[in-house]
Amino acid sequence: MSEVIVVTSGKGGVGKTTTTANVGTGLAMLNKKVVLIDTDIGLRNLDVVMGLENRIVYNLVDVVEGNCRIKQALIKDKRYNNLYLLPSAQTRDKTSVSPEQMQKLIDELKEEFDYIILDCPAGIEQGFKNAIAGASRALVVTTPEVSAIRDADRIIGLLEANEITKVDLIVNRIRMDLVKRGDMMTIDDVVDILAVSLIGAVPDDENIVISTNQGEPIVGTDALAGRAYMNIVKRIMGEDIPLMNLDTDNGFWNRIKNIFKSK
Amino acid sequence: MKQTVMIKGNAYGLVVMLDKEAPFEDILKEVAVKFRDSAKFFKNAKMAVSFEGRKLSPEEQQQLIETITDNSTITVVCVLDKDEENERRFKKKLEEAVTGSATGSGQFYKGTLRSGQVFESESSVIILGDVNPGARVVAKGNVVVLGALRGTAFAGLSGNEQAFVVALEMAPTQIRIADTIARSADRPPVKPDSADQPKIAYIENGNIYIEPLCKEVINDIHLI
Repeated sequence: MSEVIVVTSGKGGVGKTTTTANVGTGLAMLNKKVVLIDTDIGLRNLDVVMGLENRIVYNLVDVVEGNCRIKQALIKDKRYNNLYLLPSAQTRDKTSVSPEQMQKLIDELKEEFDYIILDCPAGIEQGFKNAIAGASRALVVTTPEVSAIRDADRIIGLLEANEITKVDLIVNRIRMDLVKRGDMMTIDDVVDILAVSLIGAVPDDENIVISTNQGEPIVGTDALAGRAYMNIVKRIMGEDIPLMNLDTDNGFWNRIKNIFKSK
Repeated sequence: MKQTVMIKGNAYGLVVMLDKEAPFEDILKEVAVKFRDSAKFFKNAKMAVSFEGRKLSPEEQQQLIETITDNSTITVVCVLDKDEENERRFKKKLEEAVTGSATGSGQFYKGTLRSGQVFESESSVIILGDVNPGARVVAKGNVVVLGALRGTAFAGLSGNEQAFVVALEMAPTQIRIADTIARSADRPPVKPDSADQPKIAYIENGNIYIEPLCKEVINDIHLI
């Protein structure tokens, strides 16, 4: 049984590509056969985040137009044998592919992979329609900002209209220090407005910036964001993992307290 | 011969111009003739009627209306004194009569109305769920949100100033009732002090007021 998951948000820059890379890598670490598809034609960057840019020969548009076989365009990840990337084309635009063509492509990939993860472009136009065409499940990424939440709300409405009912929410870039001061919305506030199930929360972690720039997904590392992503991966696979405490108050007294707690 | 009766139409009904000096008996006869002649044209129309050009006693007015209904198949919905400003009320009265009691009956919607979604109704609306920012509920009657109202609600679309908006959590972007618009404060308090209390928005003296939904307020509601 294979699952087709679209990672979407409406607003740009909230972490769709980072989430796609980490969730995909995490699933591969747990021995699932995974393919990541970058549907952001013309603005490709999933390959960069994965550190696979230099291996691209063929791309999504080549496959759809029949210039090559699917196998030729799939790039095997440098760390995991069971993880593949289908990169997008940089020199074309969203109109080069139609939802019907995406559906057909995904139906073919379903035969071979456990998880097909689609990195959706920002916006609600052609690129979005292409990305959701073959999906049966969605991960909606948002940050705790009103603009991102507004767009996420719109996206959830559109997903429901397109009969994608399995919608889960990832709240990204939470800063517990701001939340505590009352300057940032809490996770509960966000879930309250969007009224969909929360599948995970990822803290704003500087290690993400480093990992992205190095083309190495953070999932599986001991960084807070890395652990948060691994929890999300396990929940996607159906495990019941409680939300972790994102509070990283490493002040002196807290450390002392922690020492006593652990004893 | 001078015409003693003239019939004019405006967008919502008929204006019957009456001669000031002619005897009332003559006018009655002339009205009967005019309406009989044009009975086919009017068919079974529902109309508002106003009389102009002459002061009429209530009895005279009644006689005129009877003459009109006897000589044609028109249903006279209401009679108004001709007044330039009254044309709007004309319109509302007629629309209310045509659409039936817009506020008395309602339509249900279950689910969250999300940004970009619009729910429109010819009657009143009851939303079982939230109305999120960027979403709109538009009703000719009342709007009741059994959840949080964070988007825009528009009650009394056709101008009914008795229409109201009720929400369990009242935090709207904008509320419109009839022709009056109210928007939320530019800087909403971080935690509205009474956010979890059901509230009602209504018009009084051309202003929209929002108040906790208590017994006294409910007693003041009139469904027309």
